[in-house]
Amino acid sequence: MKALAAEASKLASSPAVWIAAAAGVLVPGVIAAITASSALGAITRGTEANAAIDTGYQELAFGVAGAIILGVVGVSGEYVTESAESGGGRQITTSLTVVPSRLRFLLAKMSAIAVSGALLAITATVTTMGVVRVVLGEHAPAWGADDVPRLAGVVCYWAYTALLASAITVLTRHGVVPLAVLIANTSVVSVTYLLTKITPLANYLPDMAGVRMFIRQLADSTAEISPLTGCLVMTIWVTVLLVIAVISFTRRDA
Amino acid sequence: MTVPQTTRTRGQEGARALAAELSKLVSLPATWLTLGGTLVVNLILAIAFTIAGLRGSTGTGSAPDIGLASIGYAQAGFVVLGVLAACSEYTGGQIRTTLTAMPRRALQFTAKHVALAIVVLPAAAITAASGVVLAAGVLGDAAAPVTSGRVAGALSGVTAYLALTTLISAAVGALARQTLAAVVVLLGYLFIAGPLLRDHVSAAKYLPDSAGVAMWFPPAGDAGAVTPVRGALLLMAWTAALMAVVVLGYRRWDM
Repeated sequence: MKALAAEASKLASSPAVWIAAAAGVLVPGVIAAITASSALGAITRGTEANAAIDTGYQELAFGVAGAIILGVVGVSGEYVTESAESGGGRQITTSLTVVPSRLRFLLAKMSAIAVSGALLAITATVTTMGVVRVVLGEHAPAWGADDVPRLAGVVCYWAYTALLASAITVLTRHGVVPLAVLIANTSVVSVTYLLTKITPLANYLPDMAGVRMFIRQLADSTAEISPLTGCLVMTIWVTVLLVIAVISFTRRDA
Repeated sequence: MTVPQTTRTRGQEGARALAAELSKLVSLPATWLTLGGTLVVNLILAIAFTIAGLRGSTGTGSAPDIGLASIGYAQAGFVVLGVLAACSEYTGGQIRTTLTAMPRRALQFTAKHVALAIVVLPAAAITAASGVVLAAGVLGDAAAPVTSGRVAGALSGVTAYLALTTLISAAVGALARQTLAAVVVLLGYLFIAGPLLRDHVSAAKYLPDSAGVAMWFPPAGDAGAVTPVRGALLLMAWTAALMAVVVLGYRRWDM
């Protein structure tokens, strides 16, 4: 419990984490404002009858970049070497001196990251959906009972993505490569989406399966995956990567 | 006893600064790891795009169109290279040694960017050509016919785009001084904000990423679209303006 509090305090006191949080809230919020206002224009001109079913959710799928940054910097901050003037130390040596059990340390860190990712997702969802409602007004898609599992799906997706990012960073020990790869893959046409054009199996990659939890209309989807299956598939990916991260972390020199 | 020459001409100083910056860049393992990794990733993606092209799901395109589609993702590697070149100075205080040896900061800054361009131009050309050669080889006669002038234009457009993007990244890196922060800002712009703005705001076609893409992939059937030449000029103007702004700050900051 103390280890968890320590990890939470480390995350909360890191400027990079706050930048990640700002990105995670602002990116989907601003994009939602832009897309919603162009959708409103289309509705008032009469070219479209209703706002798309994925309004707001689509933007939250991009905003997950905030969760990626959170997961990466949460781990990579431990491995940053201080400059020679300030001793050339790394935080990880201090952390492991204080919490000698590597398993306990990593579990505390991952729990803190997952919880922060979920909190970030909740903030971003409230902001984005609020923006959509304010901009679209009466044309906003109506809330239904269907939205509860979808919103839960957003939170789950963000927390899982933060965990995936940090598990990969535990293996690379430097933030640049996982950040570059994962953010490049958050783009409008992601690499994994491209892969689904080649093999339907790519639909079961973590992000493609994970977005099924809340996105209902995937462009030219080549496979039908239910939200629950998507959640299950992503859970398996996250579990496998976490296990690999734990094994590597407990056995490698820090 | 001969007195050693104590004054250097500006030309000598510039040449030595360039040699020093080149030596730093070439001896950085991260440079070669990034360039090599980018080439490998680009080839893998080019294979993926070619297979998708063969299946006709993206329509039968020409070899340069399919072979260069992967550049949109591979540019992440060049962004990382530019940022690393600038920010590696700030991990551990190398910047103080650099500025002691080269006190004229504007000269040092220019030398660093020229050295980066010298390293990146051939690497970008190889990366761009690799995808096109691979696509042409695999597609063979299935590819849509294309003139050699179009191929040369697209290849030079991509090479210039990647080189200028690397320079922009280095300038942003010098501004942020933090590798991760600079990478996040640049990739967030290139991969998330830029494409979305392009779809919704018409003025976004003059932004560096869209103007750059117009250099090799001119949007068809749009009279108001940016032509490749104008795109190149726009991107050069963006790069020059950004570097000028950064160098103004760079001359005044504490390091």
